[in-house]
Amino acid sequence: MLLIHRSRRAANAVRTVSPGGELFVASVVLCMIMAAFGDAVDPMLLGETEFALFDLGGETGVLAMRHWSLLELLLAGGFVAVGICALRIAVSFLAKPLRPAPGRAIEKVPIQL
Amino acid sequence: MDLEFFSAAFLSALFAIVLIDLVLAGDNALIIGLVARNLPKDRQRKVIFWGTFGAIATRAVMAIVVVWILNLPGFMLAGGIALVWIARKLLTPEPDAAAAHAAKAPAVSFAAALRTIVVADAVMGVDNVLAIGGAASGSMLLIVLGLAISVPIIVWGSHLVIKLVDRFPSVILLGGAVLAWTGYSMVVREPLLAGWFAGHAATKLVVAVLIFSISLAPWYTARMSEAIKPLAVLLPALLVWMLAFEVAADAWAMQIDYLLATTTGEYLIDGLRWLGWVPLAAAYLWLREQIAARPRATRPHAPVHR
Repeated sequence: MLLIHRSRRAANAVRTVSPGGELFVASVVLCMIMAAFGDAVDPMLLGETEFALFDLGGETGVLAMRHWSLLELLLAGGFVAVGICALRIAVSFLAKPLRPAPGRAIEKVPIQL
Repeated sequence: MDLEFFSAAFLSALFAIVLIDLVLAGDNALIIGLVARNLPKDRQRKVIFWGTFGAIATRAVMAIVVVWILNLPGFMLAGGIALVWIARKLLTPEPDAAAAHAAKAPAVSFAAALRTIVVADAVMGVDNVLAIGGAASGSMLLIVLGLAISVPIIVWGSHLVIKLVDRFPSVILLGGAVLAWTGYSMVVREPLLAGWFAGHAATKLVVAVLIFSISLAPWYTARMSEAIKPLAVLLPALLVWMLAFEVAADAWAMQIDYLLATTTGEYLIDGLRWLGWVPLAAAYLWLREQIAARPRATRPHAPVHR
């Protein structure tokens, strides 16, 4: 009886979601779990080195994430998703020249000893 | 909890309420249409107006009652656990969802039509008001603003909502994630558990992972192969197992840390904590295989219809 169930695509959202949308929501969930991690770490129990390690970058550190609101988590999720996309494109550019040509391809250089 | 007007936390809670309202909205417009379809034209208009008004009033009263109930000890935890189930239900694919709409019989009188509309809205809105009550953190202003924004969208712009979720199904996934996040924040805000969480801060992370892994299971299991699907049950069960030992250690003053254990009994309990789940997991996997194999075994004896 949900309104969204009038749309077949929305009723099967887990199957019909686009890869980009899925990556964005997955990144938001990752940020939410990171924020929960920041909430789970008690700064009073940390030594100076551990504190610095967890709070690397000040506002963007895991310890600061415990205070983040949903909008900040959505924004961070968006940045993470864009970063992963950029990384994927960069890696595909780097990996392309490393991929061996098919055995019978014309550009394959036969090496005979 | 007092939220500063137009602060990031206030706008976040408002966004969460509107998103939850949209993804969990009942099909009020369709129900009103179905109930009023056999009434005379002049009465239809009256039913549409008073039905909409009654549904909005019921929703507002229910939200206020939920906010009051959530202040009672224990209800925040129960509400958080209920939200996990609601998020899971939202993400579970429903192939025949459209067929379920044809269930409402037309009403014969104005009073019967109004009663049907209000009762249907109250039944459909229980999960919705629970979720917005949790997301509002006790702020009446947020609930009123959230309802004032989302109810007109649902009642008069339902086709826009359908278009939005049809074009971007990821809104549903985001709604599920926000419900899980609200459920987590409700569980850790529970007054009965506040003292325990203060002494066991690390378990908050375990609770968060547990809530997300259960709520979002329909999403990530859809991407898993059959061979690794049992992990979706085994990993949350393992977290519950570990949490249960933490709780038991406090309840019965047991020592479950092997570095601090002194007696054989304490070493045995620690051994049970780290290895006791293995036979249970093996039994679950065996049982699952047996259940999966049963229809295959009975297939040759099944009658053949030609």
